[in-house]
Amino acid sequence: MPTLTTYIKSLVITAVIALVGGGLFLYSGLYPMGADVPHNRLTYWLLETLRERSVARAASDIKVPGDLNASERLLAGGADYNDMCAGCHLKPGKSESDFTLGLYPAPPNLTLAGDEHGHEHAGATENEDEAIKRQFWIIKHGIKASGMPAWGPGHDDERIWNMVAFLKRLPELSPDQYQILTARGKDPEGHGH
Amino acid sequence: MQTKRFTPIIAFAALGVAFSVQAHDPKEHMKDAENPNCAAMKDMDHSKMDMKDPVMQAMMKQCIKDMHHNEPEKDQAQN
Repeated sequence: MPTLTTYIKSLVITAVIALVGGGLFLYSGLYPMGADVPHNRLTYWLLETLRERSVARAASDIKVPGDLNASERLLAGGADYNDMCAGCHLKPGKSESDFTLGLYPAPPNLTLAGDEHGHEHAGATENEDEAIKRQFWIIKHGIKASGMPAWGPGHDDERIWNMVAFLKRLPELSPDQYQILTARGKDPEGHGH
Repeated sequence: MQTKRFTPIIAFAALGVAFSVQAHDPKEHMKDAENPNCAAMKDMDHSKMDMKDPVMQAMMKQCIKDMHHNEPEKDQAQN
């Protein structure tokens, strides 16, 4: 009958072997880090679950403004989206870019509704409020090692909420509507933004 | 020795300049700004458009000058 001491020793030895093995694997350089080689399914699931659970927890206390449907927010957010986001997250009429082809994980196509751009991931929510908070948090803080930058350091919360307001309507827009809403050009009378 | 004395002052000054980086200003994009293609609104089916829809309202705001420009032309055509 193994004693408690024997059991604990076995655990310690197992832990040491696991740590040494893990360290050897790490330093071997065997794991492919190229963006053109996808993770295996287990690693992908682990990383995705970690990301979604972390974002859901961090975003849970965010207060959503009551005027996200204001047309002024659509105009301001749309212009910023076109300038800073469309290269990766696309716009109506565009289905791919160098960034969507080359980044891993590929940036979601935000011209598609949630269930169309691959929301079968851990943390998917049909609760619109949670989805809005998630979007705000991700835009503000970015995602580590993903190519998604944190826009918070250079943009205040109002600008980010404007972008979230625009994202709510983006899947419905035609290319013509998108162009009109996102154009920053001023007419001679000074209308514009 | 004098270099060592001034190094912290120079370092703090440099940090001050670095921290004063301006937030990304929308005006930076105005140089290459594209004008809204308001002519495309004429081809849209207005009967299906909800004038209370914020998207519609935002498009109208973008194209208000275009609409005002067309009104005198319509009046002249009717006369």
